[in-house]
Amino acid sequence: MQAPVHSEESFATLDGTGIRYAVFFQGCPFKCAYCHNPDTQPFAGGTPAQADALVKKILRYKTYFKGGGGVTFSGGEPLLHPEFILECEQKLKTFGIGCALDTSGAVALNEAVRAAVDASEMVILDIKMPDEEGYERYIGGSIKNPLALLDYCISIKKRLWLRTVIVPGINDTFEKIDEYLKLLGKRVLCAEKYELLAFHTLGFSKYEKLGWDNPLKSVPALSNEKLALLQAHLDGAIAAMR
Amino acid sequence: MEAWRDFVKGNWNNTIDVRDFINLNYTPYDGDASFLSGPTQRTKTVYAHVEELLKEEHRKGVLDVDTEHVSSILAFPPGYVDKDRDIIVGLQTDAPLKRAVNPFAGLRMCKQACEAYGYALSDKVLEEFAYRTTHNDAVFHVYSKEMRTARHTGVITGLPDAYARGRIIGDYRRIALYGMDYLISQKQADKEALQKKPMTEENIRLIEELYKQIDFMNRLKTMASQYGYDISRPAQTAKEAVQWLYFGYLGAVKEQNGAANSIGRISTFLDIYFERDMREGTLTEVEAQEIIDDFIIKLRLVRHLRTPEYNEVFAGDPTWVTMSEAGIALDGRHMVTKNAYRVLNTLYNLGSSAEPNITILWSEQLPETYKKFCAKVSIDTDSIQYENDDVMRPLYDDDYAIACCVSAMKVGKQMQYFGARCNLAKVLLMALNGGRDEISGVQVGPKGKTFKEGELNYDEVIKAFKKYCAWMAKLYVNTLNVIHYMHDKYAYERLMMSLHDTDVERLMAFGISGFSVLADSLSAVKYAKVKAVKDERGLITDFVTEGDFPKYGNDDDRVDDIAKAIVEYFYEQLAKHKKYRGAVTTLSILTITSNVMYGKKTGSTPDGRKKGEPFAPGANPMHGRDNHGALASLNSVAKLRYSCCRDGISNTFSVTPEVLGKGEDERVTRLTHMLDGYFAQDAHHLNVNVLNRQKLIDAMNDPTLYPNLTIRVSGYAVNFNKLNREQQQEVINRTFHAKL
Repeated sequence: MQAPVHSEESFATLDGTGIRYAVFFQGCPFKCAYCHNPDTQPFAGGTPAQADALVKKILRYKTYFKGGGGVTFSGGEPLLHPEFILECEQKLKTFGIGCALDTSGAVALNEAVRAAVDASEMVILDIKMPDEEGYERYIGGSIKNPLALLDYCISIKKRLWLRTVIVPGINDTFEKIDEYLKLLGKRVLCAEKYELLAFHTLGFSKYEKLGWDNPLKSVPALSNEKLALLQAHLDGAIAAMR
Repeated sequence: MEAWRDFVKGNWNNTIDVRDFINLNYTPYDGDASFLSGPTQRTKTVYAHVEELLKEEHRKGVLDVDTEHVSSILAFPPGYVDKDRDIIVGLQTDAPLKRAVNPFAGLRMCKQACEAYGYALSDKVLEEFAYRTTHNDAVFHVYSKEMRTARHTGVITGLPDAYARGRIIGDYRRIALYGMDYLISQKQADKEALQKKPMTEENIRLIEELYKQIDFMNRLKTMASQYGYDISRPAQTAKEAVQWLYFGYLGAVKEQNGAANSIGRISTFLDIYFERDMREGTLTEVEAQEIIDDFIIKLRLVRHLRTPEYNEVFAGDPTWVTMSEAGIALDGRHMVTKNAYRVLNTLYNLGSSAEPNITILWSEQLPETYKKFCAKVSIDTDSIQYENDDVMRPLYDDDYAIACCVSAMKVGKQMQYFGARCNLAKVLLMALNGGRDEISGVQVGPKGKTFKEGELNYDEVIKAFKKYCAWMAKLYVNTLNVIHYMHDKYAYERLMMSLHDTDVERLMAFGISGFSVLADSLSAVKYAKVKAVKDERGLITDFVTEGDFPKYGNDDDRVDDIAKAIVEYFYEQLAKHKKYRGAVTTLSILTITSNVMYGKKTGSTPDGRKKGEPFAPGANPMHGRDNHGALASLNSVAKLRYSCCRDGISNTFSVTPEVLGKGEDERVTRLTHMLDGYFAQDAHHLNVNVLNRQKLIDAMNDPTLYPNLTIRVSGYAVNFNKLNREQQQEVINRTFHAKL
């Protein structure tokens, strides 16, 4: 089996527990206005990877994976390649290596996607916007697929992390956070954590390189202080729901 | 008081056997760091005074130099940091940070060193040495023209032929455990036994050495008595054990100014005394920490007088008071004791520091609590290094220590003939130029075929390279044989060797520099199209490289296999030749900070590096070329086999705090897993820096911002502000594993 890979990172530490080997696939159905890896969006390009070869390469990192480490499939959108991921997951599992899916839930649930999700040890789901209108405006897609994936993960009791990127001027207020909470309702309690990530400007140069217009080029990075305030608000609200 | 009361008896009671004493008596500690004490008021007062002196030293280069007295065990009256407050006493001269002159290894360097700081070597000393052969004189009496040329062009550099060799660890613990009188009696017995043997050249030399050893053992007793201590008998308390041991080390660094006089593996040994005193109710934890703190203060004050050129090779005024701890005993128990924690705790009590060079002998089997404490210390201080006990123990048992950066040796049973390093990237250029130096055009090696302009053929390049490697190995061995013959003759380490078994095993330690440049260059020739370009002298001095090629540091076997093969081939070549005094061949990939200087002396290379640009340090991948993430970089280095590189494979690793995770717990855990994962692949060494590049840039531009900024460079730590601008820039250019 083969899939287009944008890049790999042997020491990923933020997308999952322990030390992660991250595989970033090429291509994403969403076109987030604040995407910090726009070069992973186009469906064309990437390096075709063979599942066997990739697994073999990942096995070289097995010694680092103790204490909850493993592989994270990210993107782009990893679930565009569910069969490929499943094959990798099954092979890696025989060596005791678990895989996480770092997804925005952009693709429709089907049998193949479900199988890939089933075989993963955890799902990190990015909830982009709190409503359909936000998805249309900033993401270039619909909220339906992400929510369907969320419900599926909950139904099979999949280990789950939720994430939202906070962008100044778009969703950096307590009111906006409350909207996310309203959207998710009790479902938020099924996630092990709900993490807010700060919008940063480090990806801006990639837009220039691609010759793309960067719709947020005048937006500043979110400060750590603001992020901490919003995260505290979110954590407090979730704690109150328990 | 009976010195050996309450100790489990064993073979150590019949003969000198410190290892046996440790194994029978130490108490492994499985708890966490919560028992540790902070600095006492006394410690704070003393160290505040020391910090003032350090500041003044930094401003002036050296605080003071005594140009009248040649350094030796009894050359100076007792010196103190603070006579009323010192717990562990003894200084190299009569005042803290005052440096002594030591011309035994080379008068010229000693003179230059004085002049560099505005002093002049006194007439008295000059007269004393006017008709004396120094080690440096003697080596040059014997060097061949070929050796001089190789040295001059920089294909072999840093050789200990004008300064003392160092990298010898006296077993200072013996003094505490046995007292000097017993040790002297044992040496006398050895001498008498040798006197009954046929008087061959070898035997006569050893008997004379024993005479010198015994002479200096007696002088050490006198030195201690001037401080009011009687070390003829064994130590009776923990404080005495530390003091006795320190006297031994102090005597050694008064006598010798070798590049790296390391202190050995002492924390577990000393812990036995601390535990006993605590059992007896005569020592509290606060007092125990205070003793260790004061001892470490003394070790931070060790200084030698060096020339600015020396600083180019070994930047930051290092002394490599390398102190090894932890590891696993042969019976499977870990050797972490409370004292291992106390030593690390000095980095909090006194602040981070380059010295002593604390070295953790890492094993997968070390207790998790200790591993995590080490990781925390790394994250907080960037002051410690890690070496893999699981690959060293099979070769050196469980009582070895690290000398300098990465050189393992059995304490008191093995010594090293230090051999600096040879520039293999330059050997490649020499092979292409038929034995001529690409910079000066001088014929250094045997005359061979000069490669034609145009595309290079890999097979032909490898063939020529191997031929010149073989030549280099032979010359290198012979050069070291000369150096160490003369060092034994004219600058013998009398005291340090008296704290070794008479029947000592000798290791001759060769080294490689330019390692990653060479691997990438050969990879470029093999996988890309490399065209050689000649200059007006007909020398190949530039290359045009078309296309991409695999680079060392990305866990890519295509180039990593080339890297492995280079080391193995060079080691085989070195092993072929006869070594002085039957020394065993060992090899390291370690540059200290000389990678900058080596790069300066090397022309453009086929990997795209331009003439004069720095090499990567040690076995590190070339900066910026390891672009598959931190672990891919580690995996490449881990492939090099320790068995043919048993003098060490140095790797320095810089990572930003953010990439390790959010918050201290996550960072500590990840770093621990990273170390476990690296060492599980039989890798040898890792320096860990957890910091941001911006912090270094800020420190370079304004040294007052972070006066104590300590970073790991290549098997040791330096105060960043002590590096020159060029070296600082090179450190900043190194790969930082960061995340967008």
